[in-house]
Amino acid sequence: MSIYSSAVKRPLTTILIFVGLIVMGIYSLVKLPVDLYPDMEFPFLTVFTSYPGASAADIETNVTNVLENSLNAVTNLKEITSTSSDNTSFMFLEFEWEANLDEAANEIRDNLNFVAGFLPEETEDPTILKFNSSMMPILFYAITADESYAGLEKILDEKIVNPLNRIEGVGSVGIAGAPGREIYIDVDPVKLEAYNITVEQIGNILRAENMNMPAGYLEMGSLDYPLRIQGEFPRSDVMRDIVVGSFNGSIIYLKDIAEIKDTTRESKLEERVNGELGLRMFIQKQSGGNTVKVAREVRAELEKLKKTLPPDVTIQPIFDSSEFIVGSINNLTSTLMFAGIFVILVVLFFLGRWRATFIVIITIPISLIVAFIYLNLSGNSINIISLSSLSIAIGMVVDDAIVILENITKHIERGSRPREAAIYATNEVWLAVIVTTLTVVAVFLPLTFVSGLTGLLFRQLGMIVTLTTVTSTLAAITLTPTLSSLILRLRTKKNESRYSYDNTIRKGLDRFDSFYEATIRWALRHKTMVSLTAISVFIVSMFLITLVGTEFIPEADESRISATIELQTGTRVNETQRVAAAIDSVIMNDFPEVELLSASTGTDDNMNFATMFSSTGTHTIIYTMALTDVGEREKSTWDLAEELRLKLEKFPEIVNFQVATTDAGMSFGGNTITVEVYGYDIAETNMVATELAAKMEKIAGARDIQVSRDPSKPELQIVLDQTKMIQHGLNTAIVSAAVKNRVDGMLATRLREFGDEYDVIVRLKEEARNSISDVENISVATPGGQMVRLGEIAEIKEFWSPPNIEHKRRERIVSVSATPYERPLGDIAKDIQSVIDELEVPSGISVEISGTIEDQMEAFADLALLLLLSLVLVYLVMASQFESLKMPFIIMFSIPFSFSGVALALFLTGTTLSLIAGIGAIMLIGIVVKNAIVLVDYINLMRDRGMELYNAVAVSGRSRLRPVLMTSLTTILGMLPLALSVGEGSEIWSPMGISVIGGLIFSTLVTLVLVPVVYVIFARRGERDKKKLGEAYDFLNE
Amino acid sequence: MKAVFIVFNQAHTEKVDFILHKLQLDGYSRWDNMSGRGSRGGVPHMGTHTWPEINSAVMVVVDDEMVDQLLDAVEKMDNVNRDVGVRAFVWDVLRSV
Repeated sequence: MSIYSSAVKRPLTTILIFVGLIVMGIYSLVKLPVDLYPDMEFPFLTVFTSYPGASAADIETNVTNVLENSLNAVTNLKEITSTSSDNTSFMFLEFEWEANLDEAANEIRDNLNFVAGFLPEETEDPTILKFNSSMMPILFYAITADESYAGLEKILDEKIVNPLNRIEGVGSVGIAGAPGREIYIDVDPVKLEAYNITVEQIGNILRAENMNMPAGYLEMGSLDYPLRIQGEFPRSDVMRDIVVGSFNGSIIYLKDIAEIKDTTRESKLEERVNGELGLRMFIQKQSGGNTVKVAREVRAELEKLKKTLPPDVTIQPIFDSSEFIVGSINNLTSTLMFAGIFVILVVLFFLGRWRATFIVIITIPISLIVAFIYLNLSGNSINIISLSSLSIAIGMVVDDAIVILENITKHIERGSRPREAAIYATNEVWLAVIVTTLTVVAVFLPLTFVSGLTGLLFRQLGMIVTLTTVTSTLAAITLTPTLSSLILRLRTKKNESRYSYDNTIRKGLDRFDSFYEATIRWALRHKTMVSLTAISVFIVSMFLITLVGTEFIPEADESRISATIELQTGTRVNETQRVAAAIDSVIMNDFPEVELLSASTGTDDNMNFATMFSSTGTHTIIYTMALTDVGEREKSTWDLAEELRLKLEKFPEIVNFQVATTDAGMSFGGNTITVEVYGYDIAETNMVATELAAKMEKIAGARDIQVSRDPSKPELQIVLDQTKMIQHGLNTAIVSAAVKNRVDGMLATRLREFGDEYDVIVRLKEEARNSISDVENISVATPGGQMVRLGEIAEIKEFWSPPNIEHKRRERIVSVSATPYERPLGDIAKDIQSVIDELEVPSGISVEISGTIEDQMEAFADLALLLLLSLVLVYLVMASQFESLKMPFIIMFSIPFSFSGVALALFLTGTTLSLIAGIGAIMLIGIVVKNAIVLVDYINLMRDRGMELYNAVAVSGRSRLRPVLMTSLTTILGMLPLALSVGEGSEIWSPMGISVIGGLIFSTLVTLVLVPVVYVIFARRGERDKKKLGEAYDFLNE
Repeated sequence: MKAVFIVFNQAHTEKVDFILHKLQLDGYSRWDNMSGRGSRGGVPHMGTHTWPEINSAVMVVVDDEMVDQLLDAVEKMDNVNRDVGVRAFVWDVLRSV
């Protein structure tokens, strides 16, 4: 017994199977995490090696080159880039997206072991670090305080950080710019010398005094007393009265020669929020954690915790990655709902019956819910790819049910009972339905085979559309007949009012059918004209596509701007802070859209993850601005960024700045063009890079031109005179320790208070260490007890320290990058290419374009291959369906015109051709072909039934007009909300909607007019194949 | 004894079953998925892509007086909608075991 008759005969079982499916789907839906993109592990590994004391050039030859040569052959490695700087070598290994990073890490470890012997002896073992997307903080908070500022670190630690760390899914909570407590002993060097005391002596005395010591036991009578010496400083002011020596019989207290400051740590990093001193808290999630859930719980917990804080402490969110995700997902969900409503309205409009409409639309939730089961089983998440896949599928899943239902209705109207009609009507069309689904699968399944980043994004799309359409077909041949047998009724003709469906819409549709039939008959009489018009339209539209700009993935307005501002290298922190304050006030006055302004000036001594990847120094200011929501402002993020650039240009102190609207690396939206200058000679490559940068500045739309190699940094070097040192019995170790202790400070001891320890630093007072002559005046104690001025044994010279040396593919490289503004990436890349072509490059140096534009070209190549694969598969499916090589060819005539439609739509809306729009165009193949199949199949049918060619074409056209219009309209209207949406993240997917709608409208028109004409041109007059048959049986005529 | 051969569009299956049951004609033979075309017009029932509809047939051997009742019922069924299609033919049964 066939599947549909079993289904109709056991309606309860059928319905319950689908109810079960829905229950499983809802369960999956509840369990699914929500994220922005499909889960992916960035295929990056880093190898970090330190070789203390080596210069950048030494590191390059002795460490980086050795490692690069040995790691170059690691499986699946795509590219090695490295930075050799003073003391460290940092290598960044990029793998293919399919690579298994654990295996890769093992392989790297083996190779490192192998070359360990070739590295210099002092080199520390290389460390392999996996770069994980969960390392990126998901939440940033700005914390400000007035009177509690000094003690903020301790307060936050106890009341915020620890409780937040306990939340499930929170990886770590970090605080940057916290004002740690420290005790400074600022010594006056003049008094030191007068009393003949050194900094080291003070440090040692403090260390010796600040201690508790058990000293054994004392047995007295029947008791045993432990003896204890309690010397630890209970408070910092005790140190004032510590005796550091005696001079001429009088005692010298520490307070006599030094100022004791118990204060916040002097940091080279300053965090300001909206111009006020503050600090930043960032929260990382655990790997695989649900960003949205973790962020929600942290926010809720934080609300509670805020109440326990002193009233002057305020915590404001700077960046909440879940906000953009939730916004995008909500936006897409409502898009999906609107799409659903549109599809229902279209079905109702054409069918005109509530019961029939219900039977058709019930396949929507059933098919879509299967996608959730798939996502859950495959460990995926609800993300913008999976949701937009659903809104693509929503218009397609009703098609099969409509075909089946239409045939059942025909049988019922001929007098069959619903049950019979359901079984036999399904029997008549179920194979045709399965074949049309196969063509759709032929287009979408190849998407799952694509490799690389593109594949990662579109594997889900392919899988979801394939699964949902297959499910919809299954539902159409089981559930649709079952429900039809249960609820469809023969309608009795009664006197209907003037405004009933039959008297209004149906009449209109009938009239439209007649009009269309007349159009076809006209077109068949004017074949040459129609074909020539079509060809010229195609040529013109292909010309249009050259005018449409290209882009990798459209950038989304994330309501965030970040800016990196560099002053003259070597600028002191105070000066940088002054400039930062000036910029702060400009931004706060002129940019009302900026809700929160967080600035971090200078560099933190404590290395952390963030400083590892960005070159910061005392001269850099990093801004993060949170803007008001997209809907609440008139200017886009990009316009604001541009305005900010203009403002920043006016600051004379600023040497270089970069204004970014996305997080590089975090999203795919990063859109930079990088020009790579390869060459060994640093001076020559610098020259080429500078010239390139200057020329790129002039290119329209190119902003933020950055040269990757930092300019040399001024440095004061103390050059010791060996002969003089020896005369005084000194050596480099003693001298350098002495200088460090006086300038940077000597960690003497730690003050213990309430379980926490605070550093006590002894150093010269500030006025005695802020000029070259101060350094020359530093006195160093000789082993003989005498004092020698540093100026006597050394010379202080100003030097330019050489920059870091970067490698890519084992060659030295400088890159010059640009960010586009209001101009497609592809266009700027073209201009840059012509600049490069004009550039006179010295021999040994090569220049090429890279960056996002490289990804774009790779992705477009993938896309072209995908297009070819889809075309071939669709052709194969159709050729086997029609058992003809010619028919698929006729049908595929509609495909080029769908691309014309895409070109036209992109041109008219000013959208760029991005990866997303390209995927939309590929999807069109499946949808467009489906329409043409319906039409051509019916024409064949009519001719097989003995109709004359022209008549068959016209009659089929009339009969198939509604199904074609219906499937097209459901898809077009299903996509309309996607194309029109303007909310958060809509920039990413609306091109897909635009290209599908444009292509579909255009190709539907073409299918309806041109495909009949082409059919007639290719077909023989008269009945198909009858003439040949007559010839074969000639013997009968004899 | 007469043999009544009814060829019908399979969409009529349930109605034919009902008629036989109502006339208490419990013994019959049935062929499913038979193709055929009529000589009095109507579309062929070939079960192909071109002509998707398909027939079934029953052969009922009945007493002579039942023949008219049976053919009446078949005609009534046909009159509901002639497009669906049904034909009945009667011939003599000479012997049976």
